[in-house]
Amino acid sequence: MIRRTRPARIGAWAVALAVSVPFVILLLQSFVESWRAPAVLPQRFGLRAWSIVLAEGTAARPALVNSALVALATTTIALFLAWPAARALGESRLRRPTLVVVVMTLPVLVPPYAVGTGLAEWFIRLGLVDSLSALILAHMVYVLPYVFLLLASGFSREVESLEEAARAMGAGTVHRLRFVTIPAIAPSLALAALMGFLVSWGQYGTSLSVGGGIAMLPVVLVPFVQADPPVAAALGSLFLVPAVFALIVASRQDRMN
Amino acid sequence: MRRVPAAVAVLPACMIIVALFGGALVGAVRTSLEPGPAGLAGEVSLDAWRAILTDPAFLDSLLFTSWITLASTAISMIVAVGLAHLIRGRRRALWALFGLPVPVPHLLVAVVVVLWIGPAGVVDRLAGALPFELIRDRAGLGIMLVYVLKEAPFLTLLIVAVWGPEVRAREEAAATMGAGPLQRLRWVVWPRIAAPLSFGSLIVAAFVFGSFEVPLVVGPTYPKTLAVLALDAARTSELDGQARSASILLVTAAVTIVCALLLVRRARADE
Repeated sequence: MIRRTRPARIGAWAVALAVSVPFVILLLQSFVESWRAPAVLPQRFGLRAWSIVLAEGTAARPALVNSALVALATTTIALFLAWPAARALGESRLRRPTLVVVVMTLPVLVPPYAVGTGLAEWFIRLGLVDSLSALILAHMVYVLPYVFLLLASGFSREVESLEEAARAMGAGTVHRLRFVTIPAIAPSLALAALMGFLVSWGQYGTSLSVGGGIAMLPVVLVPFVQADPPVAAALGSLFLVPAVFALIVASRQDRMN
Repeated sequence: MRRVPAAVAVLPACMIIVALFGGALVGAVRTSLEPGPAGLAGEVSLDAWRAILTDPAFLDSLLFTSWITLASTAISMIVAVGLAHLIRGRRRALWALFGLPVPVPHLLVAVVVVLWIGPAGVVDRLAGALPFELIRDRAGLGIMLVYVLKEAPFLTLLIVAVWGPEVRAREEAAATMGAGPLQRLRWVVWPRIAAPLSFGSLIVAAFVFGSFEVPLVVGPTYPKTLAVLALDAARTSELDGQARSASILLVTAAVTIVCALLLVRRARADE
């Protein structure tokens, strides 16, 4: 027989904590004011790092706003663009689904800095470089595939027949969408939106290459890792918020299933 | 209901991707063919390609990038199988803790690694200075650590999804017939987890091969990963810097595209 022992359970929880605790402590590290080696604990805690991050005139505040704006815009546009395609894939109406999936997902595997550099060549000619629209277009290459696949997982022949039934009972397009389609695919829709936001939020290579002059959270964060670790920890904590939110939503959905 | 034909329904999404991704590749090719200092504007030149292919730093970078890609992917796969064995069938709360690195951006994992094991990091203070260098080391151990931390949980969740009760029942059956743990892994578990694991590993390998912000934070100054080498080339004052940068990036893009297409072909052949 295969037995599952108590040490194995303790081991599993130990590994899980080791994986997650450093992210929790990140927030604590942002309040470190003075931590001279070799002391194990910091000598003083304070708000210095946060006052730098939240101060007017530093790059951090616009970076936060820009990153959120670009992520929201990219995700919203991606949801609209992906909707009909996701529907066709989910309802198995495509003659060559593999081809569509390969075309849509191949770009995700190509390094973002390469795609960004190639796009920058065009954006410079079009006068788009260093603009929020350039960032939205570049992020779209990575956001759209995820949104498409996750959204497609919500659509099915069953959802289609529910809509048929609603139509037969006289529900118009808007009513069908509002009371049948969206509730039926809600979990996938939420996951697609969250994932789209996260993918855009974490983009570094594309943001650096097409939006060099625009402050974006990850781009602003990198120099602080060496120059001022507590500020990096503060920016990192903000950077972490959407991921934690996504995890909470995903595990709640999981429990409902 | 009147329906848009499927081929028309996929057009908006596919056209956007083809235009942006195809446009990016064309743009990079065009940049890579711009003439260097000796050429004339409007001329097409292979100078940048010649320059990178004969540059020892490029070859070192290609080897280094391939090394961290293979090593991080292999370690993540092994760790993931072990972790999946450890957590399957356990509480959802445990899964959530495990899953934490999955939605976290790579850059943030790198920041956490530096704050913990970098110079004057938490581990340094708890255990005294580490006997070996893990951050900015020449073997790229810091980069590999970041990717294993981030990608092993991702692969674990992929495996756990297919390592369900029916597989466990067959494992039990094999065990009563005297199969040891390794035999059960090879003959009962592996056939189930091989497909999602190899699919996930391809994604992991592609991410590591293009790694950019992670080596910027934890990587050595020499050798550099290909993407970082391209950044350096673009930032030099030399006239052919942009062209060399684009050539290097096209090499990384070509490697990931070829690997992905090979895997798709194999997957279709298996079907």
